[in-house]
Amino acid sequence: MSSALLNLHGATLKLGPLRLGPFDLRLQAGERVAILGPSGAGKSSLLKLIAGEHPMAAGSISLDGQPLPQWRPAALAQRRAVLPQTSGVAFGLPVELVVSLGRVAREGDPQQRAIVREALILARADHLAARRFDSLSGGEQARVQLARVFAQLWDIRQGLLLVDEPLAALDPGLALELMDAMQRFATERGHALLAVLHDLNMALNHFERLWMVADGRIFADCDAVPAALPLLEQLYGVRLRLLRDAEGLAVLPSPRPLQRAAA
Amino acid sequence: MNSTAQRLLPLMALGLLLALAVQLGAVSIQAVDWLRPPWGDEAATGSSYVLWQLRLPRLLLAASVGAALGLAGALSQALFRNPMADPGLLGVTSGAAAAVALTLTVFASAQFALPPAWRIWLLPAVGFVGALGVCFALNRLARWLAPGSIAALLLSGLAIQALTFAVVGLCSYLANDEQLRAISFWTLGSLAGANWTMAVVMGVVLAAMAALGLRLAPRLNALALGEAAAAHVGVDVQRLRGLAIAAVALLSALAVAWCGSIGFIGLMAPHLARQLVGADQRDVLPSSMLAGALLLVLADTLARTLAVPAEIPVGIFSALIGAPWFLFLLRGALRRMGTV
Repeated sequence: MSSALLNLHGATLKLGPLRLGPFDLRLQAGERVAILGPSGAGKSSLLKLIAGEHPMAAGSISLDGQPLPQWRPAALAQRRAVLPQTSGVAFGLPVELVVSLGRVAREGDPQQRAIVREALILARADHLAARRFDSLSGGEQARVQLARVFAQLWDIRQGLLLVDEPLAALDPGLALELMDAMQRFATERGHALLAVLHDLNMALNHFERLWMVADGRIFADCDAVPAALPLLEQLYGVRLRLLRDAEGLAVLPSPRPLQRAAA
Repeated sequence: MNSTAQRLLPLMALGLLLALAVQLGAVSIQAVDWLRPPWGDEAATGSSYVLWQLRLPRLLLAASVGAALGLAGALSQALFRNPMADPGLLGVTSGAAAAVALTLTVFASAQFALPPAWRIWLLPAVGFVGALGVCFALNRLARWLAPGSIAALLLSGLAIQALTFAVVGLCSYLANDEQLRAISFWTLGSLAGANWTMAVVMGVVLAAMAALGLRLAPRLNALALGEAAAAHVGVDVQRLRGLAIAAVALLSALAVAWCGSIGFIGLMAPHLARQLVGADQRDVLPSSMLAGALLLVLADTLARTLAVPAEIPVGIFSALIGAPWFLFLLRGALRRMGTV
């Protein structure tokens, strides 16, 4: 099936003595997938492999049928955006400039100002526009970086958005608002959304599919609900209770431990 | 932060300073001297010769060398994502100095293999190779030691400087009296040897590098996000780094080849520029050039007028102002980050 947006075929990553993969995964256009797993399992490494930050030891990754190394940087930036886990900005650039850097690959773009404005509003950061980036709190910086990624994929369709723990520095209300914003942003444009998450409830309520990673391998690739629950219990080695009402669902870890998943 | 007045102010200050500086010196200039350019029919008298053959080329060289050092400083700071980077502190300038010292002494006979008209180009060419070598070595070293760390970058620069000083020291040891004077002129820095050829070449290279810098400015801004993030927004980081490094090496080599090493302008000018116009590289690059020109014209005017008719090497002035400035900046950087 070569119609997939993103195709990993035996993709393997070597980080010193560590070997992750091989990963054989497929992401359809417009799909929302959460990458879950215990700390140190290799979630972020998998995302960085797809982002092209780690060199591949073996296998191939293709976007839109074309292997990643064959994409020109500017063309790739207009299909795929990446939001890293932590990222500083040197020199105290103004927030508006940081967001507009999402569109640096498009030279002489007449709509830039308007798009930067809209992206800031969507990421709940429009009140920060005139501030210096280095004067912002962690949560504010996360929102500005999110706006930068929104600006990058604002006016295209069927792109790919990779995010690593986008909501970690935010309070619960804001995290929910931004998750909604990301979901709406992706759905309206047909973008696929691939996110590394720690929050199980966020993953189950907002994502269609889960890639579970344990010990540097894919432990399961399944629909979010309802198939996921027994697998999640194995993945994290805890018993989970499912609570559900009309607005959504939540899982509660319960004290009785289970045997940890062995990949 | 971006009113027109704020942008025009440094330009006006530079014009005023140049107009003032041209009047100052051992020989006083009359209005009539301006009407006797050397290419006119009348033979140049004493003061018009001073104006047209000594003072004007020297001022223009000072302005363009200052601007080149300012631009090289701003580019290396953007390249290393680090407000403390400066071609002088990083050892790029002393890399050029070591190459030049070697050429002046150990390979002195090579000079005479060249036709006399070409000799003026020998030192800039050799200096460029030395500066480029240090730039690439530094680029690899700093990333190998600890990417993004100010301390790793500055300490690598320090190690490279120690190495190049050893080379310069060896050359001084081997040099005869004449060569020793050439080396000491070089390490102190002076604009006294200025002529029109130097001023024009410096101006042309500066214009070309300024055009390149302005074209790179949006991508240099993206580099502030970090190399990975810059690549994700579509910047070809390898190519950008290569271009910026070549520009820094060319600018600092040419600046120091004829005038010797003049330190700290590349550190002070971008800092002044950022205070004035903010951190956007599209504004920082041109403003750093202006600030660098202002600083060096000021320092050189002091250097040649304070002890008339003698002259103090201008490198001494820039270091006297620059070194405390560096410590002041370092304090700011330490306060902001807690540690480097």
